[in-house]
Amino acid sequence: MATWAAGHITRCAGWVRHGKMSSMDKQTEFVLRTIEERDIRFVRLWFTDVLGMLKSVAVAPAELEGAFSEGIGFDGSAIQGFARVSEADMLAKPDPATFQPLPWRGDTQAVARMFCDITLPDGSPSYADPRWVLKRTLARAADMGFTFYTHPEIEFFLFKDRELERPLLPGQPPVPVDDVGYFDHAPQGGGQDFRRTAITMLEKLGISVEFSHHEGAPGQQEIDLRYADALTTADNIMTFRLVVKEVALEQGLQASFMPKPFTDFAGSGMHTHLSLFEGERNAFYEPGADMQLSKVARSFMAGLLRHAPEITAVTNQWVNSYKRLVAGDEAPSFICWGHNNRSALVRVPMYKPHKGNSTRIEYRALDSACNPYLALALLLAAGLKGIEDGLDLPPGTEDDVWALSSAERRAMGLEPLPTSLNRAIQAMERSELVADTLGEHVFDFFLRNKRAEWDEYARQVTEFERMKYLPVL
Amino acid sequence: MVTSRYNSLTGQLARLGFTNIERAEKLLSGSAYDGLRESPEILDVFSQSADPDQGLLSFERVLASAADAGIRDELVADLLEDDDFRLQLALVLGASEALAEHLVRHPDHYRTLVDHDLMDRPPSAEELKDEFIASVNCSAIDGAPWLDGATALRVAYRRRLLALAARDLSGHSSFSEVTHELAHLADAVLAACLELARCQLPEGSAPCRLAIISMGKCGGQELNYISDVDVIFVAEPAELPDGQLADETEALKTATLLARGVMRAANDTTPEGSIWEVDAALRPEGKSGALVRTLDSHVGYYERWAQTWEYQALLKARFSAGDDELGREYIESIQPLVWSAADRPNFVNDVQEMRRKVEANIPANKSERELKLGKGGLRDVEFSVQMLQLVHGRSDVMLRSPNTMSALESMATWGYVGRDDAATLAQAYRFLRMMEHRLQLYRLQRTHVVPDDEAALRRLGRSMGYRNETELVEQWQRHRVAVRRLHEKLFYRPLLNAVARLDSGDARLSLEAASERLTALGYLDPDGALRHIEALSSGISRRAAIQRTLLPVLLGWFADAPNPDVGLLGFRRVSEELGGTPWYLRLLRDESETAERLAHLLSASRLATDLLLRAPEVVGLLSDVKELEPKSLEDLLREMSATAMRYDEPDRAVQAIRTVRSRELFRVAAADANGLLGVPGVCQALSDISDATISVALQIAVASVEATLGSSLPTRFSVIAMGRLGGQDVGYSSDADAIFVHDPLPGADEATATKAATAVANELRRLLSLPCADPELVIDADLRPEGRSGALVRSIASYAAYYARWSSPWEAQALLRARPLAGDESLSAEFMELIDPLRWPVDGISDPDVREVRRLKARMESERLPKGADPSLHVKLGRGGLSDVEWVAQLLQMRHAGEPGFEALRVTGTLNALEAATDLGLMTAEDRDALEAAWCLATRMRNAVYSVTGRPSDQVPADFAVLTSVAFLFGYPPEKRAQLTQDYLRVTRKARSVVERVFYEWE
Repeated sequence: MATWAAGHITRCAGWVRHGKMSSMDKQTEFVLRTIEERDIRFVRLWFTDVLGMLKSVAVAPAELEGAFSEGIGFDGSAIQGFARVSEADMLAKPDPATFQPLPWRGDTQAVARMFCDITLPDGSPSYADPRWVLKRTLARAADMGFTFYTHPEIEFFLFKDRELERPLLPGQPPVPVDDVGYFDHAPQGGGQDFRRTAITMLEKLGISVEFSHHEGAPGQQEIDLRYADALTTADNIMTFRLVVKEVALEQGLQASFMPKPFTDFAGSGMHTHLSLFEGERNAFYEPGADMQLSKVARSFMAGLLRHAPEITAVTNQWVNSYKRLVAGDEAPSFICWGHNNRSALVRVPMYKPHKGNSTRIEYRALDSACNPYLALALLLAAGLKGIEDGLDLPPGTEDDVWALSSAERRAMGLEPLPTSLNRAIQAMERSELVADTLGEHVFDFFLRNKRAEWDEYARQVTEFERMKYLPVL
Repeated sequence: MVTSRYNSLTGQLARLGFTNIERAEKLLSGSAYDGLRESPEILDVFSQSADPDQGLLSFERVLASAADAGIRDELVADLLEDDDFRLQLALVLGASEALAEHLVRHPDHYRTLVDHDLMDRPPSAEELKDEFIASVNCSAIDGAPWLDGATALRVAYRRRLLALAARDLSGHSSFSEVTHELAHLADAVLAACLELARCQLPEGSAPCRLAIISMGKCGGQELNYISDVDVIFVAEPAELPDGQLADETEALKTATLLARGVMRAANDTTPEGSIWEVDAALRPEGKSGALVRTLDSHVGYYERWAQTWEYQALLKARFSAGDDELGREYIESIQPLVWSAADRPNFVNDVQEMRRKVEANIPANKSERELKLGKGGLRDVEFSVQMLQLVHGRSDVMLRSPNTMSALESMATWGYVGRDDAATLAQAYRFLRMMEHRLQLYRLQRTHVVPDDEAALRRLGRSMGYRNETELVEQWQRHRVAVRRLHEKLFYRPLLNAVARLDSGDARLSLEAASERLTALGYLDPDGALRHIEALSSGISRRAAIQRTLLPVLLGWFADAPNPDVGLLGFRRVSEELGGTPWYLRLLRDESETAERLAHLLSASRLATDLLLRAPEVVGLLSDVKELEPKSLEDLLREMSATAMRYDEPDRAVQAIRTVRSRELFRVAAADANGLLGVPGVCQALSDISDATISVALQIAVASVEATLGSSLPTRFSVIAMGRLGGQDVGYSSDADAIFVHDPLPGADEATATKAATAVANELRRLLSLPCADPELVIDADLRPEGRSGALVRSIASYAAYYARWSSPWEAQALLRARPLAGDESLSAEFMELIDPLRWPVDGISDPDVREVRRLKARMESERLPKGADPSLHVKLGRGGLSDVEWVAQLLQMRHAGEPGFEALRVTGTLNALEAATDLGLMTAEDRDALEAAWCLATRMRNAVYSVTGRPSDQVPADFAVLTSVAFLFGYPPEKRAQLTQDYLRVTRKARSVVERVFYEWE
């Protein structure tokens, strides 16, 4: 758990304020200057495919000015979810506000990165670009007067080198880097060293880390990022996943964001704290209200709860994601909310007096292998819909939902989240909210891709079946 | 004749233009007027003022105030002696409440108007600067000089404004003199503000040199009475007492303090109000950028990051106040950048976008009275001139004036714009600006909207020298018309001169310049375009002369389309075909709506263009919207039969009716492209055309076969429409689905009869596909029993036997859209009787058959889709596409249409069937709407793709250029064209969910 920084807000997303105007110029000047000064030989232009995989095009600094004004052309048909022939000729336009030298490539002859927006040849944004999906949704929030702030707690596993071979071998169970638990201090390096190096590197990349510790399962780590506006957060999560994997490789380890690598240990989630600001004021905070939660916050939560089933295919997008969701532990399988209730889907953290600006809610279903742009866009859209529709917040649940019997749960009207990718897809198919938010193109591609994944999975004969059936049948 | 004095005053006042006579009489009898009553000339001058009543009211207040100040006698004496003064005072008081108010507060300022030194010539810029700087009196003060200085500056400024207004209203200063003087006043105010700011600087501030560059109207020396003054600040460190240059950061701090001080000094409200707002938003990075930059930083920004609109703004940059050496350096360093803006990669796109923004619609309730915004508004004139300057100023230094009127004049001198056009435009621009000035002068308020109440209009008209509001409005309309055709005059007409071989002695646009301009207007092949223009307009024929007036307008319309070159090429081809016909050009010239429809058609629809080229005379149909209404089936049949009658030879006869068909197809395509027909209307019209063509062609085919046989046909023969033709759901690229049935006459030999019937069918197909100038009509008979391997023609008995043995659900389904088309009516009716129980079984089709239909559909979805096709973008077989919707309707028909009470379902059209199903409660209205929307969109998409490319395709276009053309045809605004695919996906997705529920009954 991280502390929620209250008070001062740094604004990052320049585009929100200035639209198309040339407001990035100082930043762009800074980029070009830094490239000279730091002797940067290559700039990696990053973007994200529809499934949340990082893509990269390297350009030489000489091409960068052209990239800023006109973008770099590439063939989109080779990228997951971009493959629509009309958009085959796409342009990647770097966002200078995201410029960062990459620390792990060494300081001489360094490499830097920038995130890109994807556009069509006429300059209009590509509907296939997840970053644009999030930007569009943020712009909708801005129209309503809101800025969306988020703070993710990212969990992942570290695996050991197996006899100096590659750490993960097909068909063999992975070996966690250590064998300790929640908040434990592991004596023999491993995770500890790893976290120190990774955090240093993240800080070098301008990503503030709030908190880090060993999580409950062997080899499981948690690193919490400082809160930021949602676009920055999504960019940061993309960078984070790469940094963590790079550092692990340097140390002869393997990092994985797979939601549930072990049957018997808890999986890796990405609990995410959310809040809306109106200017400098936290719109979720209302002094004197129950739990200091404003009407905006209540309707936002109600929207999240109502639309939770339809957005789950995106917040938990893999077959494996559902192994985590149905396992109990700290994963939220039922659609309810609670005050400091760790089994609820939406949790309202303990209120700290005099910290009105730190009022926020926590959505606990997300896992760290999602596409952060799409997932954050949908969380925001669901919440905004709640506000627009003026939804009332249903009563909270203070029981440990896992301890209830299924009849009790049914009596209390607690609906489960989809229990498999298949069910999540079915819920999403019917959702206008998701279609509107993702845009028809991404919506369509995503569903098709996920149906194919489910079909492929359903065909597999698993180790479980062989163990259980071969001896007796 | 004896009249009382009292009465004669009333009459006199009325004649002088007073409206509130009672009040005027009261004023004239009051004590303020003592000593003036006996001098009628005092009153006479008010008759020339904008608002005599208001003027007289103010006059009384000025007299009273002068009395308080002890200068009334002097004022009265001047009034009686100085004719010019008397008139000018009345004009000012009648035209400006705000200046009257100033005179009431400062009655001694009337002396300005008596001072010939001030009134006979505009003051020089230097004079004004010295005077205003002296007014803020910086050297003399200690303590808190700010408010006193700012107040004194306002008083000095208004005094000069009073003199300027008097000269302006009395016609002593021209429009250009007034706007120049206003800019000089602004320069002097800025200089004084800078002085005021400087004496506010904290001690020990690092020394700096600061130059204020004015932009916009002030930069162009074409300022309004009241408007924001746009500026940019540039600063450099100055020398310290020891000869060293000050630190740059510190110097910029000082400069920023100064710049803020300047802005406050002009804008702050004091007891004497404020002057105007100094706006620095045009600086690099806009409002988020540093207020002051060094020269290098400015240049660096413009070299690297500036957008096209910023260069356009810089075109007006002029040194206004502060350090003149630095100001000069700034202008010298920036200008070269401005003139290379047209070389930048996005220039064309940017300019188009900027133009759209300038023309963007303003609220309808305002647009009629708005002087500045909208198409043909003042800003449009200014923008258009600037755009031409950016395009041509690069290679021609003569065009670089920051002043709109001088730039226009040089463009006329050097042939970039026609002389007469430039003169008319300049006149209109001056008129509209004068209206704006007089509007603003009244209260010294920034406004661009012409009032609509009569009194205000009357005042405005009289202030401009018109007797009443009617005259004003007439003139205004006249000038507005002139400006409305602005783009034609400025952009397009000169292009014609470039290629004209006429030697008028006038300067004209060079070919290079013409090419540059066409590129800037969005033409992709400017040299090709110039060749077309030349071919169309050169020569001394009447035809060329008319083209010269037409082309400028058409070139503008083409430029609004995604691919202007296509439109122009089409126009050249049509004109070459028709140029000789006397009515063609006259039609286009006299009926500008015709020309506009033609331009739209040529740029939007290749199909329509091709049809037009086959029979160019059909262009006449465009002259009237009524002409574009599709003809009824009866009219078509009548005309085609009559046409066919005129030929003995079957081939010639069918060619003739195919020409009629061509013309009718054009009519539909033209109505469709101009948005006059909905999707159902297009389908119906196309189906009627096919029906009529096939019916008449069948008569010819029968006659032809009979001629060969030497006897009449030994059998009755009918054509039954199937598929889309049967359902009257025809698109531009649809073949005609049909089957043939015959029935041997009593006693005729079966084999002979079949042979003759087959000959008729073959002859019919041959005639309709004969190669000739008009498009063929392919009859597709694949829906017959046994498909392609079955006999082309069957007897009705054979059909009966076949259906009795082989009836399968899919065959029954194919029969759903069967309807009699041509031939023997009683035979057709018998055929319908034969198939009705098959397609509409009384108890509906069996459950296993329902399952079979669903399975067939599901298999089609996966198997029939072409390899690699995107299933969600396939209009026919894709998700929520045509076949999805059609199968919903057809399954409902097979299940229910046979039941008593459900007769309404017995229709062949998809939309009709859905409608009936909804009325019968088989489907909700919401579901029907979703299906209808998808079906219509998919049909429209298919038609549009065929219209644009001339090739049939069942795919939402993948090619970006085709997609934008289709979106243009759909009427999407340019910035939304990329959205078409998204809209298609959304509509069809919703339909698909209905299909899954209603057709498959999944869930």
